[in-house]
Amino acid sequence: MAAVQVSEAEKVYILHGIRDDLRVDGRGCEDYRHMEIETDVVSNTDGSAKVTLGHTAVLVGIKAEIGKPRPMVPDEGYLEFFVDCSANATPEFEGRGGEELGTELSNTLYKVFNNKHSVDLKSLCISTGEHCWVLYVDVLLLQCDGNLYDAISVAIKAALFNTKIPRVHISADDEGGKEIELSDDPYDCMRLNVENVPCIVTLCKVGHRHVVDATLQEKACSVASLIISVTHKGTVTCTRKVGGGSLDPESIFEMTEAGKRVGKALHAPLMKLLQQEESLGKKHQKVGFLG
Amino acid sequence: MLKSKTFVKKTRSGGVMKIVREHYLRDDIWCGSESCSECKQESTVLQRDACIESNLCPYAHYLIPDTNVVLHQIDVLEDPVIRNVIIVQTVLQEVRHRSAPVYKRLKDIIHEKEKHFYTFTNEHHNETFVEREPGESANDRNDRAIRVAAKWYSQHLKTSKSDPDGLKVVLLTNDQGNKEKAEESGLLVYKCEEYIKSLIANPELVDQLALSNDDKNEITSSKMLFPEHLPLSRIQAGIKSGSFLQGTFRASRDNYLEATVFVQGEGEDSTEVLLQGLQNLNRGVHQDVVAVQLLPRDQWVAPSSFVLQDEGAAKDDDAEEEEDRVLRISAAEAARKPTGKVVGIIKRSWRPFCGMLNVSHIKESTRHLFTPADRRVPRIRIETRQAATLAGQRIMVAIDGWPRHSRYPNGHFVRSLGSAGDKETEQEVLLLEHDVPHQAFSQAVLSFLPKMPWSITPEDMVKREDLRHLTVCSVDPPGCTDIDDALHCRELDNGNLEVGVHIADVSHFIRPGNALDKEAANRGTTVYLCGKRIDMVPELLSSNLCSLRSDVERMAFSCIWEMNHKAEILKTRFTKSVINSKASLTYAEAQMRIDDTTRTDDITKSLRGLNKLAKILKKQRIQNGALTLSSLEVRFHIDSETHDPIDLQTKELMETNSMVEEFMLLANISVAQKIYDEFPDCAMLRKHPAPPPSNYDILLKAAKSKAVEIHTDSAKALADSLDVAKVDNFPYFNTLLRILATRCMMQAVYFCSGMDSDFHHYGLASPIYTHFTSPIRRYADIIVHRLLAVAIGADSTYPDLMDKHKQSALANNLNYRHKMSQYAQRASVAFHTQLFFKSRGILNEEGFVLFVRKNAIIVLIPRFGLEGTVFFDTKDKATPNLVFDEEGPTLKVEQHTFCIFDKVKVTISLDDSNIQHQKIRMSLIDPVIPGVSVPAPDVEPQAKKPKLDR
Repeated sequence: MAAVQVSEAEKVYILHGIRDDLRVDGRGCEDYRHMEIETDVVSNTDGSAKVTLGHTAVLVGIKAEIGKPRPMVPDEGYLEFFVDCSANATPEFEGRGGEELGTELSNTLYKVFNNKHSVDLKSLCISTGEHCWVLYVDVLLLQCDGNLYDAISVAIKAALFNTKIPRVHISADDEGGKEIELSDDPYDCMRLNVENVPCIVTLCKVGHRHVVDATLQEKACSVASLIISVTHKGTVTCTRKVGGGSLDPESIFEMTEAGKRVGKALHAPLMKLLQQEESLGKKHQKVGFLG
Repeated sequence: MLKSKTFVKKTRSGGVMKIVREHYLRDDIWCGSESCSECKQESTVLQRDACIESNLCPYAHYLIPDTNVVLHQIDVLEDPVIRNVIIVQTVLQEVRHRSAPVYKRLKDIIHEKEKHFYTFTNEHHNETFVEREPGESANDRNDRAIRVAAKWYSQHLKTSKSDPDGLKVVLLTNDQGNKEKAEESGLLVYKCEEYIKSLIANPELVDQLALSNDDKNEITSSKMLFPEHLPLSRIQAGIKSGSFLQGTFRASRDNYLEATVFVQGEGEDSTEVLLQGLQNLNRGVHQDVVAVQLLPRDQWVAPSSFVLQDEGAAKDDDAEEEEDRVLRISAAEAARKPTGKVVGIIKRSWRPFCGMLNVSHIKESTRHLFTPADRRVPRIRIETRQAATLAGQRIMVAIDGWPRHSRYPNGHFVRSLGSAGDKETEQEVLLLEHDVPHQAFSQAVLSFLPKMPWSITPEDMVKREDLRHLTVCSVDPPGCTDIDDALHCRELDNGNLEVGVHIADVSHFIRPGNALDKEAANRGTTVYLCGKRIDMVPELLSSNLCSLRSDVERMAFSCIWEMNHKAEILKTRFTKSVINSKASLTYAEAQMRIDDTTRTDDITKSLRGLNKLAKILKKQRIQNGALTLSSLEVRFHIDSETHDPIDLQTKELMETNSMVEEFMLLANISVAQKIYDEFPDCAMLRKHPAPPPSNYDILLKAAKSKAVEIHTDSAKALADSLDVAKVDNFPYFNTLLRILATRCMMQAVYFCSGMDSDFHHYGLASPIYTHFTSPIRRYADIIVHRLLAVAIGADSTYPDLMDKHKQSALANNLNYRHKMSQYAQRASVAFHTQLFFKSRGILNEEGFVLFVRKNAIIVLIPRFGLEGTVFFDTKDKATPNLVFDEEGPTLKVEQHTFCIFDKVKVTISLDDSNIQHQKIRMSLIDPVIPGVSVPAPDVEPQAKKPKLDR
């Protein structure tokens, strides 16, 4: 992972600041940096979103394809994740340098999103046991400036919100053969319910306190971090400790509580923003990558 | 400006794919009008004074037809009267998507300068591009796009200051909804019919209008005559599950209530399903691809031996039922065939049909029946006001549709070809009917011809062997200008003989893939009609540069053998060469040289050597079981001024004919072996399958009736038994038998060696065969030349040559063209025979019974090589007592029994009472059967004039 060199003096400065709830860039411990979200940025996907958080930038594209349901859950569709750590983000990712991080990220994303409590997987079923929609979620890291998990999760939620799956009908003929028929109206499509889709909040323990949305410098001072995925109701769906270092039970508890609080507060403005953008329809001026 | 177009598509594997295309809008698309001063266009298409006399639109105007108008009324649009039309890109794209033939015709019109058709690319125009809105169907969007374009035009032309009157645009649409919306937005809009009918000066255009749905209702009663066709989705499901069969509809030539559907199975496993009765035919038209359902086994029937023609005026339904009953005569169980009914049409193959009009008996009626020249196509009901002028003319008619309640399909008049009986017209008809491409070669094709004056360059010589010193000569029929083969024979120092077959090197001039090559591949073969040749390659090649004429240097592809005096091949080699033919002889001239013992020049010696070897080769071939079959070929003596036939005789064969033939066969076999060895997967070969034993039934029965035994176990057995089949006092018997045997044979076909395993050529008794020797007139030979050239390293290859699927598709086209050219040739001979008999009046001739049918005998007149039918149940006479025995087969008419080979005397005359199908009529003179035969008339010297004003 992209890292910065931090001198002892800097470390002390950051540590002391956080102890007093004042971070280097002026934020409090539970504040996020400036976040920008834009959906429908890649036209050849079924849903896409671009999120920038500070200088961290991620792009998520979702492609819906027809596949076969998993045998254990014949009436559900599923999601597939792939995280591409582009060398654009940081030179360390060049070659196969980003592979390990990519796998780690996508494994976490499976845990967080690919279950029926997060996404309504039943609505992805086309015909039980035969056809279902598979959503390929492709994450592209454009720039790394700390707190990848949070940025990715917000982008995924926005992209899922934006996803338009073409509506299909199953027509059965006399002999029981089934044929998938596509609606010929491009506007006739299915939307996903993203209400329960969680967001990830990463908490980094710095000194005796913890911060959300750590910058790279803060990250360098952190002992350990915990990721918590939280729904809009404040339900924790997944927690995971990442990185080295250890956490005592008490601070885990404290961090979970803080994560719940922050996560819950994150959903409402996000949904409001997405709905606002949607309602603009075609009048919406696209910013894209050059904005 | 950039827009993106997004749509979802189903992939072949059943997935769904989202496709995004970039779409650029521009501001430099001009309107194409002469009167416009704003647009910075270099040349204009649409005229300033776009006037057409119309009582609806008396002002100058441009037309904008919508998609359906173009699709259905293309015949009207093609008319020279209709000019200054704007074809909107949306329409062009939709037409292209929905009908390839109409698209091609539309493109042709657009390219024609005098038509002033302008394509407006509205989809890329900044102001006329429309995006599909939620809830809008694709059709609605396209209609809107057309309206927006029309609106743009009407405003654009109004603002052009140069023209104070202002040109107007008229939108043509037959869609009521579209029309209303257009009117709402203030456009001038008319239905196509309305507009065409308003053209005061050109009333004949109305006839070319295709019938639209609401017109059809008036035509016939609402009684449903036919069962409904199933929708395509159910047909496909049925075919998948095996309850329906898909096949090509083939109407019977002799009986309009009968058809077969040829179902292509896997490999050799193809079946034929019989259809009988109007209900079961269910509006199938010859060559349509249809879905059939088999009837239960107890309803299966046998094909009837009746000859039944749909004649007379439009029929009532009662008469139909009676005819149906005639068909339902119980047949022997064994003769029954799988019988079915048409449940749906998968693909119509309607094309414009040639034929003639049956003028309705009711005066003032504008609805008439049209009888196609091809008897397998049903009669078509058309609407026309020019019936009086069209009667007696050959016309073309296109089918528009066949509603359930109509006995006949509905169609419209396309164009007139000229008056019937006219030689030019008839030739045009038979070329069109046999799908022979006969237009002049296009400029694109001609551009690939070598530049004249042409000569052989030193570069050409590098890869070629110089054979100019050899005494090569060609032997062909008189008047032949496309000489594609030449021969030589000389003695070598070692006492052996060197024999060379030199074939015109056409593949040197026709390079793969260019327009010339594609045109030749499409034409497939040169078609020889009486007095006319339709070339496969332009004349410069066929009659000059490729033709191996005497005393000029020509490029050739040579096949050279070293043989001993027993005609055993010791060595074979192939090479590209340059030759200089020393003489172009006719068969007769060559024969004279050989026979004239006083001549000892090189050419004659060479010919004698060839002749000697050919005799040995022929003997060997016959020993191996090659068949010598017979068919009568007729040659007309044509009057040099009127081009009318003045006499006809059957072709004579000379020794030299067979001499040339032997060496051609030998070259073909040698080349076939070579290309197959070299390219086992993609060699173009020719096979002649052995006929199924049942084909010989008629031959065996016929022979048995004269107590002669014929063995058909193998080609050899057949050849031998034909040789010994003789009946005393009946010298012509053997020829008749051979004619019959020819009829039992299968068609020889081209095929690609990688797609088939059976290569045998039955007739020639050769394990492998191809066509190499006539590249000027057959495309297959060009392919074989290319393969051979690659094999010997004289030329480079190209991908399509090695693609067995493409080769196979090509072979199918060649087979089709070849078959059609033979039919066209036969039709041409038949037409000239009719011309001949027209000038001769009535003749009495001797003939032989060739076939016996239930109600007729078919008689062969050897003198003219003519076959005709003597019917015993004519409409105006009482039918005599007929007893048909299938075993014989014999037909007992009153007291007399007819068997195959019976000698009869008939009168021959031209029956021109029905000018649509003039035919040779034969009536019986001898044997005399009271009430059936006619008294022998005196031969009338004067000719009857055809009644043209009927």
